[in-house]
Amino acid sequence: MRAVVKNGIGIFTPQGFLDGNNSINLLSIDDVEATTKLNAEMILVSLKKVVFFNRNGLDAFVKMFTRVRAKQHLTVGFCDYDYKKFTAINKFYKDNLNFSLFQSQEIAMLFTATYKNQNKNVLLYSNDKSQAAAMAIELHDNGHNPVIAQTQEDFNIKEKSKETYDVIIKNTYLGQMGQSVATRVTGNAIIYTVSSFLDAEIGNTFNIVYHNNSLNVGFRLFIFDAYKVVSMNIHALNFFSKLASSGAEYNASICFVGLSFDKTPTSFKETLEDSGIMFFEQMDDILQNKELLHDLGGSSASTIANKRVITKAIVTELPNFIEATVNTIEMMTNSQASKNAAKVDQITIDGNIEDKIASSIGFYGDIDGMVILVFPVEIAKKASELLIGEKTEDIELVLDTLAELVNIVGGKIKSLLFEADISVNITLPRTYENVNSLLDVVGDKKGVQVDLSFDNDKFLFFLTR
Amino acid sequence: MITKDKIDSFIEKIPPSSKVLKVTLALLDAGELIKAAQIAKEDLALSSYLKSLVNKPIYGFKNKVDDVSQIFGILGVAKSQQAVYSYMISLLSPKKWSLFALNQQSFQNLQDVLSVNWQKILRHLEITNTEIQSAITLLPASIIVAEALFHEKQEDVALLRTASEIDLNTILLRLCKVDLFDICAMIATKWEMHPSIVEIIQAASGAKPSHDTTINKLGQWMHLLLFYTLSQAQFIEAQLNDFIDFHIEYVSPIYDDFAQVMEIQ
Repeated sequence: MRAVVKNGIGIFTPQGFLDGNNSINLLSIDDVEATTKLNAEMILVSLKKVVFFNRNGLDAFVKMFTRVRAKQHLTVGFCDYDYKKFTAINKFYKDNLNFSLFQSQEIAMLFTATYKNQNKNVLLYSNDKSQAAAMAIELHDNGHNPVIAQTQEDFNIKEKSKETYDVIIKNTYLGQMGQSVATRVTGNAIIYTVSSFLDAEIGNTFNIVYHNNSLNVGFRLFIFDAYKVVSMNIHALNFFSKLASSGAEYNASICFVGLSFDKTPTSFKETLEDSGIMFFEQMDDILQNKELLHDLGGSSASTIANKRVITKAIVTELPNFIEATVNTIEMMTNSQASKNAAKVDQITIDGNIEDKIASSIGFYGDIDGMVILVFPVEIAKKASELLIGEKTEDIELVLDTLAELVNIVGGKIKSLLFEADISVNITLPRTYENVNSLLDVVGDKKGVQVDLSFDNDKFLFFLTR
Repeated sequence: MITKDKIDSFIEKIPPSSKVLKVTLALLDAGELIKAAQIAKEDLALSSYLKSLVNKPIYGFKNKVDDVSQIFGILGVAKSQQAVYSYMISLLSPKKWSLFALNQQSFQNLQDVLSVNWQKILRHLEITNTEIQSAITLLPASIIVAEALFHEKQEDVALLRTASEIDLNTILLRLCKVDLFDICAMIATKWEMHPSIVEIIQAASGAKPSHDTTINKLGQWMHLLLFYTLSQAQFIEAQLNDFIDFHIEYVSPIYDDFAQVMEIQ
């Protein structure tokens, strides 16, 4: 079985009974290998659909945790359990509990750097004081407001005033937390979260290939969320200086937010500033300042140093790109598609651009580029129904689902190209709430535009670099 | 991906139950075991199925049983009916499976394991009703339907599952407004199976609890039995464990009893 990655968390959801006879069949060597390559911040095994388990049944997953931690430094553990299951896991692994336990996925999300909804009021209780403190520190670092109940009685009283707290945490245990550099996309900026001591290890935990390809597909603003960084040494300094230099040819901006220089030499700051890196106290100093955001390249890609043109290799594979897109949209809408027109030029969006939204995904490897899909909002809603399970007017939800849809398109492109002996990886998907923000990114890039229609609803496919 | 037309076409291709099967079932229903056996012998495939069925170790007979009259005599009315229904369902199974890693033998093993354990459960619940005993035979039809509808769409399903934890039953319901168990019900209706069998199977999907307390309780037992069975290594390997969603809250009221009956430690 494979994990489904959502909001930076890869979740396995086994069903039924887990024992020593069957759990190895649930998790093959290939599954474990694939998990170590996931672009996720946490890997969790949900027990919400497991009615019975014993230690042997969990061991296969615990071995997978060890492998994933060793290779990717991610947070790993179990989630979605009741008190009985929590007690059983603690009993099975009481002397060797080095993974985490989150009572629910919602609680797990609070401990990720990629979680969008910060500033939650959180009530928490653990009879292990050091656990309670560790959780409170993590929550605070992630921008939430934790309140620790001192005793079970105190917790019982506080728990009753439900409206005071957004989330209540109990039956949760923090094992070793992840050390990888988490990545999230906010608007047109890529935010990397770094923590603790930055040293030579940053070279291993930072995904440089992903960063370079984000540059290639048009991202220009990279923000290091460094609130949790205690200090950095000369090796980390060199790493960031080089990163800034290599981004210069793309006119990329690199910023640090929340970095304290209490334990880091201030001369390091000067060196980094000389490399072009900027420092801000708060994330909102950048994200809420539209003018600054624009100046930093957070809304435009028109300043590319080397304008990249679409290559023959990409055009040759165009049928694969179209097939992947059409098949996916057909699958999601259960309707037939037809191709109306194709041209090589700058992107042209006909009709009312107000009722359109867009998404894109980059690919890199033997060939590289970016696929952009522009939908009328109504088609996007229809295409989202299969994953959401109902009609929705919530545009945020539609955009999130559209990101998943374009991710599926990316996955399909990857497998079709693989059959043609072309190896590529895909970036995180990106969505645009309006076409203008897409046009800011695409600028005057040329590409292949194909107009498609589904049951008379039109949508646009654009392939560029 | 899958349209209502495709489902209609699938149902249309299912042949109505043969005259031999209809008469055999009617005679069994009337308790006429000997007459039923004489009719059943006319269908050589049915006779062969029954012989191979009762001589499997899971049925625990010491001596080889060769004669259909003897088989019906040993099994009794309810189990004989169940065996005939299992045969009818096996007629629907594909020659070659591709979505699930099954074959004729492993599918029959699944049918046998479900039937034998269903008997244990009904003994525990002190239920002797023949229709209820036979209800379990329709459950594996959901697997056959899933294979028939999704075997050409494996890649699509795999891609969809990279983005969402979604089971085949839910995909079908969202695309076509009918689920695998609705299709099983259509098959049962076509074969004139007893209406209570259809109701129990619908409840056993776990997604559609019945308003009838007795049927709902049987649905809970059957849903848990299905996942108990599909959690066996051979069926996990066959990719059967997640073809439908396991509704753990639905079965929680009967779990302790179930664990006792199945001797789960």
